[in-house]
Amino acid sequence: MDEFERELNEAFARRPAPPSLKRRLIERRAAEARRQSKSEHAWLVSKQLAWQQLAAALLLAALVTGGVEWRIALERRREEAARQQVLTALRITSHALDRMNARLTARRHQPQD
Amino acid sequence: MAPDWQPDFEKLVDQHQSMVFSLALRMTADRGLAEEIAQDVFMELDRSLAKIESPAHACFWLRKAAMHRSADALRRRKVRGIDLWVEMEDVHGIQSEDRATPISARLEQLLATLPEPQRAALVLRYQEDLTPEEIASTLQAPLATVKSHLQRGLKLLRSKAHSQLKDYVRGE
Repeated sequence: MDEFERELNEAFARRPAPPSLKRRLIERRAAEARRQSKSEHAWLVSKQLAWQQLAAALLLAALVTGGVEWRIALERRREEAARQQVLTALRITSHALDRMNARLTARRHQPQD
Repeated sequence: MAPDWQPDFEKLVDQHQSMVFSLALRMTADRGLAEEIAQDVFMELDRSLAKIESPAHACFWLRKAAMHRSADALRRRKVRGIDLWVEMEDVHGIQSEDRATPISARLEQLLATLPEPQRAALVLRYQEDLTPEEIASTLQAPLATVKSHLQRGLKLLRSKAHSQLKDYVRGE
């Protein structure tokens, strides 16, 4: 190291930082911590809200599905009742026709006066 | 590395604020900008505190961050078209209460006229007493490049000092 380099060493010694630097840093750090905690709180609230919305959506979906299922079951029950009524009517008609047929057959076999 | 060393932010600020501020100041030649850079560097340190493993690592990390942030600031300023030398002379001037001797002040002015890579290498060499290997690691540059910047920067600074400061520099 020559004389000029020694001169550079002296000239480029570290300078003291402004006295306000540390105070400003502490303030900035505190502000950032506050901002972060606020954004974390907002995130938690939005997360809670999202869960609530999801729960409401699931409940609504369950209600709609239940309603549709109940309606289908009701339709099936009505269809079944209608089918039974038609079958009963057919049975009665068939029975009446059988009786009519028996009477006609009996009359046909009676001797003619 | 101390096995149970825990980084203490305020202690690190106390220990290294002068180093970070001086690096930024010599790279940008702007006190306001240097203070801003120093604040940003320490805020970044605060966010990365969990990754800091030892006091030496903290010092290395701060040097590297200060140099990178200063280079970024210079690049932004270049984009905005502000000339460093003119700004140093006209806006921030020579703050006499800040300067140890007239020769130091003039050498710092001359340093500000060097190209940025040479200035970075010289600041780390003569302010921080780093070896070329340490400078290369701090600037993440090849060793040969750093050595070349050191040689060229020193030669340029010497010639500028010779022509402008020959009455002051000892041994010239």
